[in-house]
Formats: sequence, structure tokens, C-alpha cells
Amino acid sequence: MDNLITANIRQRPVCSLVSIAGVALGVALVILFTGLSRGMSNDLKRRSQNVRAEIIFAKPGSLQLMSSVTNLDTEYVKEVQQVEGVEAAVPSIRYVSQSGKGFGFEQVEGVDWEPFARMNEMRLVEGRAPQAVDEVVIDERKARDNNLAVGSVINLFGNLPYKVTGIYTPEAGPRVKMSLAAMQDALEAPGKCTWIYIKCRNENEQAQVAQRLSEKFRDFKIQFTRDVFTSVEQSIPFLGLFLKVLVGLAAVVSALVVMLAMYTTITERTREIGILKAMGASRGYIIGVIEKEAILISAIGLVVGFVVALVTGFLIHRVYGLVFEYGWAWALTAAVIGLLGGALGALYPAIRAANLDAVSALSYE
Amino acid sequence: MRTILQAENLEKVYRVGRVDVPALRGVSLDVHEGEFLAIMGPSGCGKSTMLHLLGGLLTPTSGRIVIDDEDLTAASDARRTDIRRRKIGFVFQRFNLFPTLTAEGNLRLAERIHSANGADDPERRRDVLRLLKLEDKMHHKPLELSGGEQQRVALARAVVTRPALILADEPTGNLDSENSAIVLNMFQELNYRFNQTIIMITHNPEAAAMCRRIIQMRDGRIVEPTASIQV
Ligand SMILES: Nc1ncnc2c1ncn2[C@@H]1O[C@H](COP(=O)(O)OP(=O)(O)O)[C@@H](O)[C@H]1O
Ligand SMILES: [Mg+2]
Repeated sequence: MDNLITANIRQRPVCSLVSIAGVALGVALVILFTGLSRGMSNDLKRRSQNVRAEIIFAKPGSLQLMSSVTNLDTEYVKEVQQVEGVEAAVPSIRYVSQSGKGFGFEQVEGVDWEPFARMNEMRLVEGRAPQAVDEVVIDERKARDNNLAVGSVINLFGNLPYKVTGIYTPEAGPRVKMSLAAMQDALEAPGKCTWIYIKCRNENEQAQVAQRLSEKFRDFKIQFTRDVFTSVEQSIPFLGLFLKVLVGLAAVVSALVVMLAMYTTITERTREIGILKAMGASRGYIIGVIEKEAILISAIGLVVGFVVALVTGFLIHRVYGLVFEYGWAWALTAAVIGLLGGALGALYPAIRAANLDAVSALSYE
Repeated sequence: MRTILQAENLEKVYRVGRVDVPALRGVSLDVHEGEFLAIMGPSGCGKSTMLHLLGGLLTPTSGRIVIDDEDLTAASDARRTDIRRRKIGFVFQRFNLFPTLTAEGNLRLAERIHSANGADDPERRRDVLRLLKLEDKMHHKPLELSGGEQQRVALARAVVTRPALILADEPTGNLDSENSAIVLNMFQELNYRFNQTIIMITHNPEAAAMCRRIIQMRDGRIVEPTASIQV
């Protein structure tokens, strides 16, 4: 039977290619979007987990993932440090800028390197800390992805050139960091910050420390780091739904494309179906022929879709720095969608073919 | 001699909108094993309808058909298809080969449909190809073959599965006289060497003359019942 199936596919190359492309498109979309969402959220999680400060001290309204708010006076650092149980308090400005490549966001942090590194157990693997207002340090990942080294120049805030003076590890928070003063200077916000990182003397007493802080600073927002960063995930709650809708749409696209292709195929091959019937082929046999052809097309589309997704993901990562992480579960889902979509899409044309009247099919022009 | 086909009082009425078109008005026919039978008659007299009924592609309005001891008319649709698969080989005026497959592929397809378990019969295949002189044509697609060659491939496809009965509807209708003669010769050879039972519709008196028995039809009836010609 394989003979008839592959012969049919080769006989109509354009139609076959279009169906293959349709299935591939659906599969690639699923793989890319799920890979991107997983990659970005894992990346964010890793960088958040490396922040060792237990408490984040801010003014209400400034704790947003995409915020570039500087509404807190750095004067509070001294007062916070006097609270019992506080080991260190480090002010920081988090700035979200459009990334240089025009798509995606780049976070930049203004924080004084020495205290921040001590607080979070980070170290420079190369170079030195930023000092001048046009100097930054970056993490190893950023250096690798963007081909940067000590001495390289990157553009921030639109088009201002910054010199890379050091490379640090582990990744924690935004990958690009400059001194607090440099950030204040760039944003024209002297004496201001977004929030203050607070490290407790004893990790197990963070609740008591937070309690003391909120008693002393009634108008401020005192949050645990772990809550802030889990709410990062929760702050995009539609993501899961979006992915499900996407997967559903991909399945529908695959099914429709294969259905259309198979439908035109059986119309064109009505007489051949009549011949099969005259030769004694059962309904099951005829359905089998058409289903096998559809599944073969879907399987090719599946492979093409995987390749397209991997190549596209790699290119997007290269150019825009977005992170893709592919999971077996989603790959399997995409595979099932491609094959099942194709098989289900072909079912209606296949049943129609099996139900054709043999004599009229034989006289079909 | 064994009876391969028994048709009793077949009637077929087509319904076109609200109009009934009677195509067969009571046809009875017995065919013995090894017979080569010609059906003749003017266009529209019901020959094709009769052949389609005998092959189980259509069901009669009334009457009974028994093929090789199996009752076709009492069978379900699926069962009729199954009887056709095991017992009948069709040959058509328009050859009806699969254009995307080679001659070889067309034969293999027939074998695969015929044998549910995928077993083939290389000996039968060799005999058929030798008899029909097709050995060196097997790798050609239908469009690369002449009409006569295509019809020989179709004939090979029909007989390779050892059907009890070959049903041919004007098999030389699309061929010039030279190719007609070759193809008719092949039918005769098959009948003679393999004792193959054949029912052939034809307009060609020379073709009919090759047959041991000719029946004439008019207006849905057999008018010259079973006049046997001794060859
Ligand atoms: N599918 C059909 N629907 C309606 N009438 C039909 C159909 N097939 C054949 N007929 C009619 O039945 C009669 C017999 O046709 P057919 O068996 O094809 O004759 P023949 O093969 O002898 O030329 C004709 O009058 C034809 O018009
Ligand atoms: Mg006819």
C-alpha cells in the first residue's frame, strides 16, 4: 500500500508541500512559544533565587516587574540599618529599557557593587567593579550570549555607550549593573532609588525583622523577596491560558490543512477510489489508505516543524537574547497535535471516500 | 460441469428523481466453470447494469445471484465487497489502471487487496505475465504504455488473484483493430490455458465469434437465450 501512498504524495508535490508546511507551522508555533515561556520564566527564576537579601523595602506602587520608578530616598538606608536584626541594607534602582535590538526588554540595575556582592555572595571572575558613570559589569551569561568581554562597549538608555569593566557570577537580578550614582546620574534622580535590599542577620528571623520594619515605617511596603519573585510568575497569569489556546489553535490549523488537502485529493481521485472498490477493497481499507497518507504527511510536517522551531529559536536567541528552553512534555504535545490533527482532519474525507458509490465513482471524469 | 454463476430473474430499476427507469426486466443466466461468454446488444439495453449486478457493485431490485456457491443478493454490503475481492476480476473499457503506479505496482496492489494476510503467489504472477507477454513492461507507468498494453496490464491485474469469474465491459472498445485482436487473443488464451471463466460485453462481432456462447440483450431482456456455438 505504501506504494500507492507515496506515489500519491509525489504526484501532487505542491499540495503535499502545502499540507506539510501547515502541519509544520502548527508544531513549530507550539514548540517556540512554550519553549520561550519556559525559558524566560526559568531564567527569571534562577536570577531571582540568587538574590540573598530576604526583604525588599519600597514605597507602595514601585514593586512592579517592569518598573523604572525612583521614588524612594536613599536616606532611609541609614534608618533601616538601625532596625534590630538587619545586617545590611543596599539601595538599588532597577531600570527597564527597550533592548538595543528593538524587541524585548533589557533590565539594568544601579547598585553599588561592593555591598551588593557581599550581600549576595557574588564575585567578579574578570576585571573590576564599575566606578565611573559610564562603566558597567555584566554576568557570564550576558558576556557569552552577546560576545562581550572586559573592555567591550554596550549601548544603554537608547544610545549611550557604556564600558564593560568586569564580568561577575552567579547571575542575580538584571544582568547589567552600574553604580547607584551612575544610574542616578543617567536618570537625573540624585539621592533616589527604587527599593532597598535588606539582608537579615539571621535568615530564620526575617518575619520578626519584617514585623519591626513595618511598625517603624508605616507608609512603606515591606515584602519578602521570595514573594516578590513568585508574584513575578503570577503577574502573567494569562500565560498558561495563552499557551493552551495556542496549542488548541495549532491543532485546528494542522487538522484543517490536512483535511483540505485530503478532501481535494479524494475528489481528484474519485475514479481511483472506484477502482479500489471494484477490486474488492473494503471501506476500512480505503479509509486506511487515506489515513496513512495523511499521517505520513503529518509526520513529515512534524519533523520539519521541529527543525524550523529549533533553528528559529536559535536565531531569535542569537539576535534578541530571548531564552528558549524546550521540554519533552511540550515536544510530545506538539507531536501528538501534529499527528492527531492530521489523522482527524483526514477522517472526514476518508469516510466520504469509503462511502462513495462504486459505479458512479468509476464513471467520474 | 460446475456452475460458477447463477442469476435468477434479475430486475433493476433506477430511480431518477421521481421517474423509474427499468434497466433490467427479468434476466436469468447460468454460467459454467471455464465458459467464455459474450453479451451483445444495443447501447442502453442494460448490459453494464447486468455486469455491475453480477460483480456486486450494484444490488438488484429483485432476483437472486449466486457466485461460486455464495449468495450475493442475500449478503450485506461489506460481505458483497468481500465476495468481490475473493471471486471477481473486473476489466473495463477505459483500462482503469492507477496512473501513479507502474504496471508492477498495479499488480501488487491487486495482490495486496486480495490477500488479507499479505501472502503473494509468485508462480501465478510469472505464468500470467508470460501468457500476456508483459514481462518487460512491468516497470512502466500506464501513460508510457500503448492502449493495448494498458489493457493487458489491466487483464493481468484482474486474473493474477485467481478469480472465479472475470467480468469485462467492452474491453476492446477503446482499442484499434490490431490491439483489439491482441487483447482478445489474450482473453482466449486465459480461458483456454487457465480454464478461466469470462463474461465479456462486446459490440464487436469478431470478438463475440471467439466466445463459445453469445447472449443477445434488448431492452433489459435476453432475447436469444443461450444459443450455444460449438467451436
Ligand atoms: N445510474 C443510472 N441512473 C439512471 N439510469 C441509468 C443509470 N445507469 C444506467 N441507466 C439507464 O439504464 C439503462 C441501461 O444502461 P446500461 O446498463 O448502461 O446499458 P448498456 O451498458 O447496455 O449500454 C439505460 O437506459 C441507462 O440510461
Ligand atoms: Mg455499457
